[in-house]
Amino acid sequence: MLFWFAKKGIMMVEQDVVRMVNEVLIESFEIKPEHLRPEAYIFNDLGLDSLDIVDLVVALQKKFGVTIRDDARVRTIRTLGDIYNFIQSIKRESNK
Amino acid sequence: MRLWKFVYLNTTFYAFLFIFSLVAIPVLSIFVAFCALILPHRLVMKRLRRAASWYGAVIIHILPFPLVRLKYKDYIQTDPGGPYVFVCNHRSASDPFLMAVLPVEAIQVVNIWPFRLPIWGLIAKIAGYLSVREIPFEDFLSKTTKLLREGVSIVAFPEGTRSRDNSVGQFHGALFRVALETKRPIVPLCITGNKKIPPIGSVFLHPGVIKIHRLKPLLWEEYNTFGPFKLKNHIRQIIIDEVAVMENSG
Repeated sequence: MLFWFAKKGIMMVEQDVVRMVNEVLIESFEIKPEHLRPEAYIFNDLGLDSLDIVDLVVALQKKFGVTIRDDARVRTIRTLGDIYNFIQSIKRESNK
Repeated sequence: MRLWKFVYLNTTFYAFLFIFSLVAIPVLSIFVAFCALILPHRLVMKRLRRAASWYGAVIIHILPFPLVRLKYKDYIQTDPGGPYVFVCNHRSASDPFLMAVLPVEAIQVVNIWPFRLPIWGLIAKIAGYLSVREIPFEDFLSKTTKLLREGVSIVAFPEGTRSRDNSVGQFHGALFRVALETKRPIVPLCITGNKKIPPIGSVFLHPGVIKIHRLKPLLWEEYNTFGPFKLKNHIRQIIIDEVAVMENSG
């Protein structure tokens, strides 16, 4: 029972992260919600460029209250799903 | 017949290009050098860019004629006055030469490879063309802002690389940030018909008709509420729509 609640709690956090990242992309870049699929490539599918990524990092930092600018993992991000996972791991690390 | 045309086009084009360049480049260089003796630097640069444009105009209009024809349409009804930020789709290595149709003083924002071309690369460097991948954005912004203030238009191919199919690739936003900063009109330029003039990975030209449409400029008053991301995608969509019309019109 306790495990079920813990799992449900993690899923809630994950859904919140997905929702908040999507909000950033919709508000800051006016990307249509139907384009926001986890498998979408940030450059080729969503059309962001290196300068947009700088704006995105700033907006994500503001939204989640975390520092990600100097994190080396940012360079490995390719898809929107990678952003969700990255933010989740950052949140987890900051909660420890 | 097709093969004959292909051979004739490439033989005559490259033979005349060689002869023409052998004469025109030294003559125009002497003309610009003479200007440098008597005119201020700003006017010398203007003459140099004009000379490069004349040279390019001969290459695109006369040397491949009649097997490669160029149709240029200007859709500007009321000219808001330059300098402009020209944004162009990119399909062929001939695109930078096609910019000689523009009746304004302009520099081009290019990739690394045009600077590596013998002689032409050197001329491009002297004329102030910018290699966007080799300079940080802050430098790019200050250089383009200075040029626009001097009255020099900027031409760019924001896809960054030539499209391998007929689609218009995603745009890089650097130039749109420059436009937002400098408040200059953005002019979409659409090119079709030169995908095989020459094809990617080849220097050989195929006969065909190249169309260039210069569309109505988007003024600062029309785009000042846009962010750079929305602006680049707005212009990209205008170009995609026009290219589709141009291709379907035969």
